[in-house]
Amino acid sequence: MAVDINQIDEIISSHEKSEESLLSILQSFQRKLNYVPEEGIKRLSESFDVPESRIYAMATFYKALSLVPRGRHTIKVCMGTACHLKGGGLILEAIERELGVERGGTTDDMRFSLETVNCVGACAMAPVVVVDDEYHGHASSSNVHSILKKYE
Amino acid sequence: MEKIKFTIDGKEVEALKDQNVLEVAQENGIYIPNLCSNPEVKSSGGSCRVCLVEAHQNGRMRLVTSCNYPVREGLEIKTETPLVKRIRRGILELMLARVPDAEVVVELARENGIEEPRFKKDEGENYRYKCIACGLCVQVCEEVVGVSAIAMLNRSYDKKPGTPYMKPSEVCIGCGACAYACPTGAISIKDEGDTRKIWGKEFKMHTCSVCGKPYIPEAQIDWIVKTTGKDRSFFDKCPDCR
Repeated sequence: MAVDINQIDEIISSHEKSEESLLSILQSFQRKLNYVPEEGIKRLSESFDVPESRIYAMATFYKALSLVPRGRHTIKVCMGTACHLKGGGLILEAIERELGVERGGTTDDMRFSLETVNCVGACAMAPVVVVDDEYHGHASSSNVHSILKKYE
Repeated sequence: MEKIKFTIDGKEVEALKDQNVLEVAQENGIYIPNLCSNPEVKSSGGSCRVCLVEAHQNGRMRLVTSCNYPVREGLEIKTETPLVKRIRRGILELMLARVPDAEVVVELARENGIEEPRFKKDEGENYRYKCIACGLCVQVCEEVVGVSAIAMLNRSYDKKPGTPYMKPSEVCIGCGACAYACPTGAISIKDEGDTRKIWGKEFKMHTCSVCGKPYIPEAQIDWIVKTTGKDRSFFDKCPDCR
């Protein structure tokens, strides 16, 4: 996927030019482009005079930043204690089968990215699957299909 | 400069104000095991935890890493108490399970009475060769060399030094300072003929005009000339033939 250099430059120039804004620029990349592109890191390094290695390290450090394009929707399958006991692992496997991706991966059509989380604080609804910002409680391997159906 | 008096294992020692405990102990012939600190690298130290000692002051005791603990008047340092030994053994045992192939760690562990860790040794995708993720290589590259070709990537269990995208770095000069500084010998550097391979990048080496040995990467000469203004002809001969 080609990235628009102009868009990258636009994001960079909309922030104050100081080292403190590095992280918020990386966040803007993530928000607007759905990932942190290699060209973005290069551009940032040049215009801020900060070593590329350091910016790359930042991008690998934060879970909220991704170095590969993410899908349009993010599925988070809860692996917390309550969800684990109620079969969260089985649901994860069911989704992996349904979409044909491993945890941490993104479907080829860029529709979904699949992640695991360690607790979403909704243990009463266990097992929980969160898609984007919507919580789906009492999920089961047989109803994940209908949960995912409405996201395009 | 102001002199500071304190004791290490009951021995009275003198130090300068900005020194750390490990430095002073070494000056006075007191052995404290350590891995990740290097006197040439200011920000180094504090991450391997092997140099732990007891620091007593004002009736209180703390376990501190001696490599980055500043000296203070009246401080009492104890390096071989049962507590220090026990904690250090624990640290080394964990470290040994993490990097079972690092000779230095194996040796240190043995000195402290550990032959085999009780924990499962790392293998498969967790295997990280000899790296203890102390970050000294990264600090050397940034502070001493001034290049910052590598950085500590990821975090926690996956933390490791590397170049951006693990590709051959555009800025690395092939000096090998990272490999030289690494306490466990975890960084691969290979010199073959007039080529050096490090961090997945190949460097052409400059040959000494007297003995004919390739001794410094061309890229490193370029870097030194650029940053110090030294004359290029200085590098015609290797340090042995100068």
